[in-house]
Amino acid sequence: MFAKHPETALIPYLRGELGADERSRVESHLQTCARCRASMESSASMLREISEKVAQIPEPDWTRYRAQLRIRLAARREQPQTWWRPAYSWMSLAAAGAVAATIVATIAIRPTQQLGPTPPVDQLALEDAPADLGLLRDYPVVEHLDLLENYDEISNLDQFAPAPSRNEKSSS
Amino acid sequence: MEFSDEELCRQVAGGDTVAFDALVERYQARAYRLACSILGNEADARDVSQDAFIRLYEAAGRFDERSKFSTWFHRILVNLCIDHQRRNRWWRKMVPIGKRDDDPDAPEIDFPSDAPGPDVEVIQGESAGRLRGALDKLSANQRAAVLMQAEEGFTSREIAQVLGCSEATARVHVHRGIAALKKILKGEEP
Repeated sequence: MFAKHPETALIPYLRGELGADERSRVESHLQTCARCRASMESSASMLREISEKVAQIPEPDWTRYRAQLRIRLAARREQPQTWWRPAYSWMSLAAAGAVAATIVATIAIRPTQQLGPTPPVDQLALEDAPADLGLLRDYPVVEHLDLLENYDEISNLDQFAPAPSRNEKSSS
Repeated sequence: MEFSDEELCRQVAGGDTVAFDALVERYQARAYRLACSILGNEADARDVSQDAFIRLYEAAGRFDERSKFSTWFHRILVNLCIDHQRRNRWWRKMVPIGKRDDDPDAPEIDFPSDAPGPDVEVIQGESAGRLRGALDKLSANQRAAVLMQAEEGFTSREIAQVLGCSEATARVHVHRGIAALKKILKGEEP
């Protein structure tokens, strides 16, 4: 007996494809399973319907069909296949090489194009973050610092008095 | 004296065009019908079935007679049909066909419809049209397996040889294909 329904064996059973063992197991299952009997019958009906519809496909003019086939075959045989295939592969290799060379050239040229017009990094930083610069402007000492040599001043920056703001400067 | 398919194929391998013509005449209707029922289009079926005969001519020397000639030839044919459909689907995904419902201003591209039109409807009648539509919803392997079973009376083993899969897998393709067809024709999604 089958542990579950022998669904995939039903059509082969119907067509007489199964070996003796499998056939007898399907037969005994079908005796007790109405669902599989119904499934087998509806599948057979579906296959018959497909077969009938396909038989209605109008046939082409076979003389013309064979004439077209002969022309296509002759055209194919006339192609000098002994040389065009290698030539084709060489062309493919050449095309791949050209693409690779273009990519390499693009990568090589790109940095030099960017170096010229690119503004200095500190200028960019000033443009991008003006709001953060108020503190630095308040401490003029910072402008004169060489960072490594004046480490003491940097570490004690909070002890310096802030410089007068621009408003205070203009009022005074 | 009538030669077997296998004998004719050996003669084709030796360059015998008369043997090739004999094989074409013997298989043209079956090849065309199967291609037509897989592709749903007469023009494609003609081109692809002719392609299969050209491949047969070129590859006859490689037929090793481990399977029947008909199985070997159908393998060429079905693979060409499946390749043809894959190429078409890829192309149609890349280029929108017709006017899109969600974009009324989109330019309409007048490509031939995927569905068989009145001039290319290969299976006549309303029920046949529904069957054609249902077949189109199956996977390529399921559709080929069901059609080979229905049209050619191929066994599961022969279907497996054509599709290049195990016999158990071929049985599953047929079973699932038929089950899906039943559901689609009842108005349920598979």
